[in-house]
Amino acid sequence: MEAEVKDKIVSIEKPELVAPPDWKPVIMGILCNWCSYAGSDLTGTSRMQYPPNIRIIRVPCSSRVDPWFIIKALQTTADGVLISGCHPGDCHYISGNYYARRRFLVTKELLKMVGFHEHRVQYSWVSAAEGAKFAQVVKKVTEDVVKLGPLHLYKKENFSK
Amino acid sequence: MDYSKQIQDIAAKLFTDGKIDVFVGYRMNGFDDNQVPAVITDPKEVSTLVFTEKSVFNLSNYLKADHTRNKRVGLVVKGCDSRSLNLLLTESQVKRDKLYIIGIACEGVVDDKGQKVQNCMECIIPDAVVYDEILGTPKGKKDYIVNADIKALAEKGLVERREYFEEIFENCIRCNACRNSCPLCYCTKCCIDQETATIYNGSNTSSSAFHALMTWSLHLAGRCVDCRNCEKACPSHLPLHLLHKQNEKVIFGNFQNHLAGVEEGDRGAFYKYSLKDPDDFIM
Amino acid sequence: MARVGVFVCFCGANIADFVDVPTVVEEAKKIREVKFAIDYKYMCSDPGQQMIRDAIVQHRLTSIVVAACSPRMHEKTFRKALSDAGMNPYLLEVANIREHSSWVHQKDKKAATEKAGDLVRMAVAKSIANEQLHEISVPVTKRALVIGGGIAGIQAALDIADARIPVTLVERSPSIGGRMAQLDETFPTLDCSQCILTPKMVDVASHPYIELIPYSEVIELNGYVGNYKAKIRKKASYVNFKTCTGCGACWQKCPVKVPNEYNCGIDTRKAIYTPFPQAVPNKPVIDAEHCTMLLKGKCGICAKVCEKGSIDYKMVDEVIEREIGAVVVATGYDLWDATPYEEYGVGRYKDIINSLEFERMVSANGPTGGVPVRPSDGKVPKTVVFIKCVGSRDKAKGIEFCSKICCMYTAKHAILLHHKVHDSRAYIFYMDIRAAGKGYEEFVNRAQVETGAVYLRGRVSKIYQKGDKLMVRGEDGQLGQEVEVEADLVVLATAVIPYKENPALARLLGISYDKYGYLSEAHPKLRPVETAKAGIFLAGCTQAPKDIPDTVAQASACAAKVCGLFAGDTMKKDPMISTVNNEFCSGCQNCVQVCPYQAIVTEEIPLGHGAKEMRTVAKINEGVCQGCGSCVAICRSMAITLAGFTDPQIINEIVAI
Repeated sequence: MEAEVKDKIVSIEKPELVAPPDWKPVIMGILCNWCSYAGSDLTGTSRMQYPPNIRIIRVPCSSRVDPWFIIKALQTTADGVLISGCHPGDCHYISGNYYARRRFLVTKELLKMVGFHEHRVQYSWVSAAEGAKFAQVVKKVTEDVVKLGPLHLYKKENFSK
Repeated sequence: MDYSKQIQDIAAKLFTDGKIDVFVGYRMNGFDDNQVPAVITDPKEVSTLVFTEKSVFNLSNYLKADHTRNKRVGLVVKGCDSRSLNLLLTESQVKRDKLYIIGIACEGVVDDKGQKVQNCMECIIPDAVVYDEILGTPKGKKDYIVNADIKALAEKGLVERREYFEEIFENCIRCNACRNSCPLCYCTKCCIDQETATIYNGSNTSSSAFHALMTWSLHLAGRCVDCRNCEKACPSHLPLHLLHKQNEKVIFGNFQNHLAGVEEGDRGAFYKYSLKDPDDFIM
Repeated sequence: MARVGVFVCFCGANIADFVDVPTVVEEAKKIREVKFAIDYKYMCSDPGQQMIRDAIVQHRLTSIVVAACSPRMHEKTFRKALSDAGMNPYLLEVANIREHSSWVHQKDKKAATEKAGDLVRMAVAKSIANEQLHEISVPVTKRALVIGGGIAGIQAALDIADARIPVTLVERSPSIGGRMAQLDETFPTLDCSQCILTPKMVDVASHPYIELIPYSEVIELNGYVGNYKAKIRKKASYVNFKTCTGCGACWQKCPVKVPNEYNCGIDTRKAIYTPFPQAVPNKPVIDAEHCTMLLKGKCGICAKVCEKGSIDYKMVDEVIEREIGAVVVATGYDLWDATPYEEYGVGRYKDIINSLEFERMVSANGPTGGVPVRPSDGKVPKTVVFIKCVGSRDKAKGIEFCSKICCMYTAKHAILLHHKVHDSRAYIFYMDIRAAGKGYEEFVNRAQVETGAVYLRGRVSKIYQKGDKLMVRGEDGQLGQEVEVEADLVVLATAVIPYKENPALARLLGISYDKYGYLSEAHPKLRPVETAKAGIFLAGCTQAPKDIPDTVAQASACAAKVCGLFAGDTMKKDPMISTVNNEFCSGCQNCVQVCPYQAIVTEEIPLGHGAKEMRTVAKINEGVCQGCGSCVAICRSMAITLAGFTDPQIINEIVAI
């Protein structure tokens, strides 16, 4: 029994939850249009390779990211969330990422307290020139989430989609 | 701490001077020694007003109700209540010139068993910060104390914490009493009632409770004054303060010791920023 | 019911080699709302676009998803295809399956295909929530406001006016001309500053498209690009400019003497004065702070001598309003006060002056008739020590940045000194010589060779008095030893700092400024003349220290930007901006606080239908909003929506897979 569990991938927050054999984590990436999305495009044009688990959503600015997007993603489809914006001082909209940064920290700490591993939600600053950094970030987040196992906060069947 | 007589006198004078239309205070509930909020429009009822350490509710919540809106109101506020009132003033929900505020230099309130409640033991600003007159001797600001429950939770393991909170979300019946009792939840239409927010959630599942409570606590992050009206109102007796105190701890520790509503004009922590805000948690 | 069309591109082999495109199409067809899905080799080509146009008509599609390259690449192309087919272009969504899938997962075709399928699902889900949007066109008031009448403001105003666009030029002091009017000769050609500036000043005054408002300040600016309203306070001059002939009888007879700002306080002017002989407009003003008639009600000499009766002691400040479309800010610079340099004895020794004071002394129209003299005893100095980088590049006492112009004007001063006092010698203490510019290095060489100026690389550590001389002790870094120079006069090249009221002006205009008070450009490299606020531009030293050629170039660039802005009768604007739903808005005004563009104002609306009582709600100015969404995310009651990135759109994307 013990050995079996070890072979299987188990949710770190909920050990009774065992991943199905074909489990692949889903990372929801929310990127700002001007820096990180452009950076992720550069990763593509430079043909740098990263794990295929991330699904990218484009928003105008990291300040557009309402914390409940993160909550919603964790609740429904994602095993991990990556949010990326412009470096401090480089925000296309002057100060958006500073406001976003405050919300991110509080959201992260709150999720941590209610029993989410801190690697479930990660943040990065990726500029339009940092294609390589984007690939690294995605690689790191994916590896982290694979280690954490499935999230499955609430079963998908519960949603009246 | 018994200011019943003073408050009765002040209220009576305010009514005779024609300075107020409504007075919001406390009265006995009529069957045990607990109190309920009293919204008085008739000067004759002034004698029912009381204020003791059993005056637990945050009355600034009543300023958003229809019977006080756009009227001249007399109001009793303790330290925490005055901070939420300050935020209501800052966020243009009430007008200062329509209020007559009786501030209390609060010594802490007690629960049913006569025990001083936790938020009063950890209270940082016991004196009213906004008032027209203050009763009692101001004691000044105290040092910030991290909530004992938050400390205890932080020491628990991830699995344990998750289990604990899943149970909380499961026990929530989505009655929205917490939201309705919160003085700072005054939105015309609350986000968790809106179609866009609930459509993927169902209405009464632990998933929707997770979404609602998390969103709600994040909307109060940097604004919550720890009056615990929500907890008093919760029929399931959920420890809702955990969410708020966690946010308060993070905000106080990281954003230049920000505390909600201490100064007039100071908005919540999410509506300003500093270049010195922590950045090391971001890759 | 939504009817979505999905168009998957091969992008030649770029996508097709690493993503199984037909599978993606099959996956798309499984989505309930997708009524049509097809692939093609090059979707962005003409036949590809034609497929989209045909399908829109044939299948009555309500929104389109193109799975191809990054939306940053071809979103505009496909939007155009949609509008050509009579469909609202904003009903398009692009699934980025090239940059985000085929190019980055080249080793795992199965995973890349799966991901491409998910990206299509997300785009379809988002497109269902897409709404028809329409480009916003904002009317433009074709008038520019130029703040500051120095060389930057003059150049910008002339260039704009030459394009037949009306300009209002506001100058704080009684005359335009600014700092350049105070200069004697200019580097590197040593042509006379006045000779090249005054014709331009006269042009400004006589230009049919320029309205010159001297002795006034901008006190309010409301509105947004193309539609600003400016309030200008015209200070009372107590002289009727319409009748005044500028004969000068008044100021010749005025008994009150006041330190002369134009000459850096070296000599005096009268209480009624024109700042300098070539002033434009060449009409005197009364300095209300010093006029005895205005202060005590006694005197009145100027009124008595004025033949035209132009003096009016009862004149009051006047507020002028102008509707304008664009603003050029050219407030210029001040010199840093060197008092923190205690070891130099600044303020203690009279014979330490700053470079602008030296400039005035060597000017032909200056207070000393073009000959430098020692302020202490009026003697002509023989040995003059120039100290560069006083305050500049000094984090401890002054300012971190390099003031840029000091190296050049100090070389110029050495040459001018040599010209005026032939047997003099200049000693120049410097940190580096920064002479990047056309003819600049040659000019510095000329100063060294022609005048015999001694360049000493090092900092001055102390200045003290010995007899009537000033002993300047410093270090000669090249010899590695201490030197001491017996100087008659010490000239400090103090740091160039922005006009002291820049921060207040920036707040008034709603633009940002840096820690020194310099106004911030929108992008340090690619948008050096724009500010972050559309329609407000920067020229000259208000942005950073600059010499005259750079200032003029930037001013002309501003003019080009203004002319570009005014090229059409209306401006087109992206419709992806925020709007407020009044019903939901609770009026907390936190969004007003968060908006980086001051695009949010408040308005009063009835509390309910037909109610008398009012409540406050937020209102977004569509001309100003840039669509960042900061307000949307902080709006707790979800009253604000950002078109193109609404909550339903993003949530649809999140839950689609």
